[in-house]
Amino acid sequence: MGDSTYVILTIVAMGAVTFAIRALPFMTGRWLQRHPQVQRLGRFLPLSIMVLLTLHSLRDIAGSWAGQLWPEVLALTLVIGLQWWRRHALLSIAVGTLLYLWLRNGF
Amino acid sequence: MGRSPLLLSVPVAVGYVPLGAVFGFLFVQAGGAWWLAIASSVLIYAGASQFMMIPMLTAGLPIGSIALATLVVNLRHVFYGLSLLHLVPKNGLAKFYLIFGLTDETYSLLTTLPAETTPMQRVWLTLINQMWWVSGTALGAVLGSQVQTQLAGLDFALVALFAVLVVEQWRARSSAKPLWVALLSYPVAWLIWPAHALLAAIGMSVVAAIWLDWITHGR
Repeated sequence: MGDSTYVILTIVAMGAVTFAIRALPFMTGRWLQRHPQVQRLGRFLPLSIMVLLTLHSLRDIAGSWAGQLWPEVLALTLVIGLQWWRRHALLSIAVGTLLYLWLRNGF
Repeated sequence: MGRSPLLLSVPVAVGYVPLGAVFGFLFVQAGGAWWLAIASSVLIYAGASQFMMIPMLTAGLPIGSIALATLVVNLRHVFYGLSLLHLVPKNGLAKFYLIFGLTDETYSLLTTLPAETTPMQRVWLTLINQMWWVSGTALGAVLGSQVQTQLAGLDFALVALFAVLVVEQWRARSSAKPLWVALLSYPVAWLIWPAHALLAAIGMSVVAAIWLDWITHGR
């Protein structure tokens, strides 16, 4: 994962960005309320980003297996279905990951 | 407030301890030091972007790119503060910390507290919530550095977490466009810039979002 300095600098940068975002309305609340396009982007982008992160991490993990990708497809479908049905994040993650481990390791 | 902040934070603990443990575990299994996993949960304290940082650090992306992705993922937090403007303590350090700790879960808890709750009680609640997240992370990081897993594919947990967040964002959607924009931009980004597909796709989605907003609402 690279040397400690790289990771520490990343943590500091991410912490600063996250804090700045959370603090912004306390400094510029009126400005934000006058710019509805910024608010609309804030509603639009999270769904896009989460889909992109899912696709990207799926590609990362599938890349380490040559050939068929049906275990990824099956486990992902289970996670989405469970989350849609039960709305319990930990349950969806745990059950989906267990199915995937079982499909890939076959114990 | 009739109940203590500790009691009020129990529902958050139920989610934060195991999820923090998954983060700590995956971080260490990806080759990160245990104390850096804990430092992330102390200094960043934002679930989705902390999970996102693991593959990005492994890929060795530039710090600027990771910071940009953090900005986009956490953008929704801008709108939390707007509804809490009047509830924040006047005191410098307490105010600073409450703003720092404004995660999704803490935000929803703070908005449901009775009006007579004092600012210091809100700060305590925020602090206890972060304690759960940091404890979970420490637990997962220690486990992750002890266990030599023979299991291939444990990092599917990361895919599962993002998929869960997709479902929850989908429930809160105002249109299906963000989904289509992402599904189209990732393959295109992968074709033209395979090494930085995620970053290119985020950039394309931002441009598409601005353009779609412009054609529907005008300037």
